[in-house]
Amino acid sequence: MKTISIALKDLQILFKDRGALFQLFILPLLFIMVFSGALSAIGGGSEEQVTLPNLGVIDLDGGEAAMFLINKIQEDGSYSVQSLTVSDVQSQLDENKVVAVLTVPAGFTGGVQGSMPVTLVITTGTNADPQIVDAMRLVVESIAADMTLESQIIASLQQMGDMQATAPEQFQVFSTERVLAQARSQFETAQVRPLIKIVQSVPQQEEQEETPDLSLSAVPGFTILFVFLTGQTTARSIYDEKKVGSFRRLAAAPINKVQLLAGKILPNFIIALIQIAVIFAFGAFGLKAMGLTPLPIGRAPIGAILVAILLALCSTAFGILIAGLARTENQIGGISTLLLWGMGLLGGCLVPLFILERFIGPFAMIVPHYWANKALDDLLIRGLGLADNYLSLVMLGVFSLIFFAVGLWRFDFER
Amino acid sequence: MPAILEVDNLIKKYGDFEAVKGISFSVEEGEVFGLLGPNGAGKTQTISMCTGVVPPTSGTARIGGHDILKESAQVKKINGLVPQDLALYPTLSARANLNFFGRIYGLRGRELKERVEDVLRVVSLTERADGVVDKFSGGMKRRVNIAAGLVHQPRLLFLDEPTVGVDPQSRNHIFESVQRLNRERGMSVVYTSHYMEEVEMLCNRAAIIDEGRIIALDTIKNLIALLGGGVVYVGVKQADDATLAELSALPAVKEAVLVPQPPPPPAPEGKESTTETKPVTATPVIKVVATNNQQAVVNVLGYLNQHDIVITSLEIMQPNLESVFLHLTGKKLRE
Repeated sequence: MKTISIALKDLQILFKDRGALFQLFILPLLFIMVFSGALSAIGGGSEEQVTLPNLGVIDLDGGEAAMFLINKIQEDGSYSVQSLTVSDVQSQLDENKVVAVLTVPAGFTGGVQGSMPVTLVITTGTNADPQIVDAMRLVVESIAADMTLESQIIASLQQMGDMQATAPEQFQVFSTERVLAQARSQFETAQVRPLIKIVQSVPQQEEQEETPDLSLSAVPGFTILFVFLTGQTTARSIYDEKKVGSFRRLAAAPINKVQLLAGKILPNFIIALIQIAVIFAFGAFGLKAMGLTPLPIGRAPIGAILVAILLALCSTAFGILIAGLARTENQIGGISTLLLWGMGLLGGCLVPLFILERFIGPFAMIVPHYWANKALDDLLIRGLGLADNYLSLVMLGVFSLIFFAVGLWRFDFER
Repeated sequence: MPAILEVDNLIKKYGDFEAVKGISFSVEEGEVFGLLGPNGAGKTQTISMCTGVVPPTSGTARIGGHDILKESAQVKKINGLVPQDLALYPTLSARANLNFFGRIYGLRGRELKERVEDVLRVVSLTERADGVVDKFSGGMKRRVNIAAGLVHQPRLLFLDEPTVGVDPQSRNHIFESVQRLNRERGMSVVYTSHYMEEVEMLCNRAAIIDEGRIIALDTIKNLIALLGGGVVYVGVKQADDATLAELSALPAVKEAVLVPQPPPPPAPEGKESTTETKPVTATPVIKVVATNNQQAVVNVLGYLNQHDIVITSLEIMQPNLESVFLHLTGKKLRE
């Protein structure tokens, strides 16, 4: 309860400090607005570009399954489907009349019906927006997966039915349970080994290089930069307590050092989480209202929450580090400014990570900002899963531990 | 009376610097005890160790029968600390500050509310309770500072220079509050100050501290009696041992000694002392400890006049803690 009392008191003081509130909550939004607006002009990001892109389709099969696939894509309503011939592809892509071309190979229907592997090819232009292509690929994959499943289950049940029909009555072995088990097994097989494989190719380019929406990269970047700024607020709050003597008064009260420090860092953790929520909400709704590409929070909500918690923890530990290292008010300002902006710059908070990595390479990895940035970038912008980001999450945890350990080692309770 | 505080050979070192050099004293239950000494004497460090703010390098203390090191949780409930600094949150109201410190001592709900109202009455700030501390005058801030140390009703209150930077009216108010707390509630108080008048007025006993050591400890009356009737400092052109012996033998004079002169200041860095630089030669000052100040002055001046000894300065000090400190250390309290 004493820890909570200290934390509530600190929050009460913070919420009376208009300057600190502006710095923690308003300033990052202003930065994001300016940077997103500016970067959208360079790297795309306005919402018009996302609406109804054209998808070219070359149907070399002409069969039932091919028709089914194309109809399903049309029904999805996300794309305007245009039939093309092979000779049209290059010119259509070059002139940006279509963002991608889906080629359904000859023998597709026979393959699907005979449960034989078939491959669909998505061809994109060199300037295609990776987000649109990714989304398109997801749609095609989803429809193909349904077709695979349906085909495999039907084939399997058909096989069982055939065997049952020719067997004498005493050998009628396929009970309802067994049929269901078989269906489940087929479902799992379809998930692991899809019948329809999808490959993506870019003409005249060996390897496709993903260029994320530059306007979106401002949101995670400035979120991280300003969340770490909360650490500076914590260090200053501890310094102020020592300066006015209230830290001494608390040290004379029946409260131990752990409770005291926990009370000082808990507000940092809470404020950092509120900050992230406010900035992400702005990224999702504010940018949309401004006609810019909104931050797709819905893509990985659990991952985003996990990163937010680790980021808040790391920022809190950073506050203790500064409080432990700095002995004067000037040192707090100097050390934290140097570290905050230095780490922010290295970690891709000011310059998008994929651009920065071209110049400084792995050097960026020495700061927690990089790992937080990478995790948010991968989860929210590139659409990767949590499993692909475990290293970033672990590194954020490791940095938190290092900051806490050094901060507590250097913390002076007597002055 | 049992002792509420027993300090046993407390030492505090910071590297090679020894801030407190083995201090021992005790404070009886219901007593107002003074720690008198100049800035940097070790008063605050002594209090900090007693209240558990800093651990002693060696030695210990017992408060209410509990060891400050082994039973710090019990000790901290008995103690109240009013630091020299205004240890408050300036952007919060007086009431919010007191509520917070009350909660830190485990007070909740109705009990907390009653205690806060009570201490606001003690420091006469009930009507300004909801005002933001930052907008208060220096004296009012000091009173809130004291109230914050009282909210949990400590048995032993440590007041560390509580009147620094306070106007006379607020100072009187603080004195009255301390006296009332001691008289009406039986609260024991350890009061540190470098203002001898405050210690003389408030305390039953006092310890005089200088350079981390207690140099005198007794009742105020006995401490002052060390000087008898007072002290007279007489600056003269010259004085020898014979003069001092004859002055010591005069009626109403207890003792006449030469005040040690400070060494001449060193030559500026990088410059050697040359024959052109005249050494600073202060005239001798004779300290006359009197049994009766007025009589001693008449006799001493008469003797010097009679022997054609030129008088360069004269300072008559009435017997008080200031002159006791000067007598014991050769320094003024506020140097």
